Amino acid sequence: MSTLLDILTTAAILYSVCAGLLLVFGVMKIINFAHGGFLTVGGYSALLVTHLGLHPWWAPAFAFVIGAVCGMAIERLVVRPLYSRPLDAILATWGLGIIIGQVITLAFGREVQFVKSPVTGALDLPGGASYSEYRLLLVAVAVALGLTLAAVLEGTRLGLVTRAVIMNENLARALGINSGLVRFATFSLGAGLASLAGSLITPLSSVDPNMGVPWLVNAFMLVMVSGVSLVSLAIACVVLGGAQVLVSQWGNPILGGLTIVVLAAFVLRLRPQGFSRG
Amino acid sequence: MNARVDIAGSAALAVAGMRSGYGEAVVVRDVHLTVQPGEIFALLGKNGMGKSTLLKTVMGFLPLQGGAVSFFGEAVGGLAPHLLARRSLAYTPQEQALFQDLTVEDNLRLALRDRTQFAAGLERIGVHFPFIPQRLKQRAGTLSGGEQKMLLVARALMTRPRLILIDEITEGLQPSVIERMVRVLRAERDETGAAMLIVEQNVQFALAVADRYAVLKLGEIVDTGPVGDGAVAARITDQLSV
Repeated sequence: MSTLLDILTTAAILYSVCAGLLLVFGVMKIINFAHGGFLTVGGYSALLVTHLGLHPWWAPAFAFVIGAVCGMAIERLVVRPLYSRPLDAILATWGLGIIIGQVITLAFGREVQFVKSPVTGALDLPGGASYSEYRLLLVAVAVALGLTLAAVLEGTRLGLVTRAVIMNENLARALGINSGLVRFATFSLGAGLASLAGSLITPLSSVDPNMGVPWLVNAFMLVMVSGVSLVSLAIACVVLGGAQVLVSQWGNPILGGLTIVVLAAFVLRLRPQGFSRG
Repeated sequence: MNARVDIAGSAALAVAGMRSGYGEAVVVRDVHLTVQPGEIFALLGKNGMGKSTLLKTVMGFLPLQGGAVSFFGEAVGGLAPHLLARRSLAYTPQEQALFQDLTVEDNLRLALRDRTQFAAGLERIGVHFPFIPQRLKQRAGTLSGGEQKMLLVARALMTRPRLILIDEITEGLQPSVIERMVRVLRAERDETGAAMLIVEQNVQFALAVADRYAVLKLGEIVDTGPVGDGAVAARITDQLSV
């Protein structure tokens, strides 16, 4: 039972971490390697909330806003001038990730710090075991996030326009859609979501200037096997995240940390479209 | 020179000395053409002569390397595609012209900025293409080839554009559908006064639908005139075969 919950909660955390990266990849056709940096920004936003003595419930909202504002500035100043050079744009995001880590080190120091969790209780499971309520809460958050994104993408004009840009940007432009604005909004949202996810994972681990890096690697592989589909992403998170949990529990945690990357590479080798329909 | 400025002033589209291409490879060189309001203009030429490049440059997808483009008197060279579309310029490209995975309805809606126009637009295109209002929920990619071309034209007409650029709409169409396209485009022009620049290889279609024509060869216009002259078809066919 608790293994099952581990799989579910791990998948939920991975989904929250990956959603923003997937959207940016879909719209802009680049992998945003600053995503790890935005996760870290979220972690430190949560730390700030703790330092300011605010209730930890403020952390996710605070993190989202700070991440989105950083995303807006970075899109405008760094990514947009490189639209016609996607490879350079990817390199630039990689550099940005490093810069974000360094700026955070300067501001907050190198040491590992801890953040208060908004929920500290444990839920009793049938059979006498208990399970972290906070981890269970993250499942609800991930589901809500997925449903909200799906509702926006499938049910609104903004979503339709975004899907059009994902499918065929030039055609969208020919029909009067300002794809530059869609890119800006998506990048900002992606940064905000990354930061939000960063604030959500901090109560489970700790905060340090490089906390985003291991997440970035896994998120990158999960997006690669998902194509540009939120549904495939959910499936990939459950399957590969589940494998990670099983390997960590019954094998060893070091191998567990490699599971997603290795399996994703295998999946792509066998089925280039990964978990997506196409 | 003054005469040319005057023409540009009143024309729906005026292209003056256009030079364009892909980096070093110049595909269109020194092209002049004007399309008057309410006029259907056919640009003929074989593959690789620069027809599509010319349209892409007018639409802002390729940078103007030389010359000028004006749209109802406004110089629009260098303007982004979405801004041209918002000035009521419709463009139907030759390839990847529909969102295959979206429904017929979503494809049509994407062309409209104002959603309140949808019902009226649908009614208008339903007159020309009755299958479209009946199959709004069908994915565009599952329509037949001919239906996809009709949806393309419908989407362009949806917005009541002032100028429509159409790239090889007859490619792969059966004769009955081609005849229908001629009727629809001419009817639309008569009703709304829209100007059209139609790029074609199908001489018969082009001469049936257009008022004037030009032949583009290796990026330059080698012949132009009204279509009325009976010898035109033979002459164009001759030019395209060389």
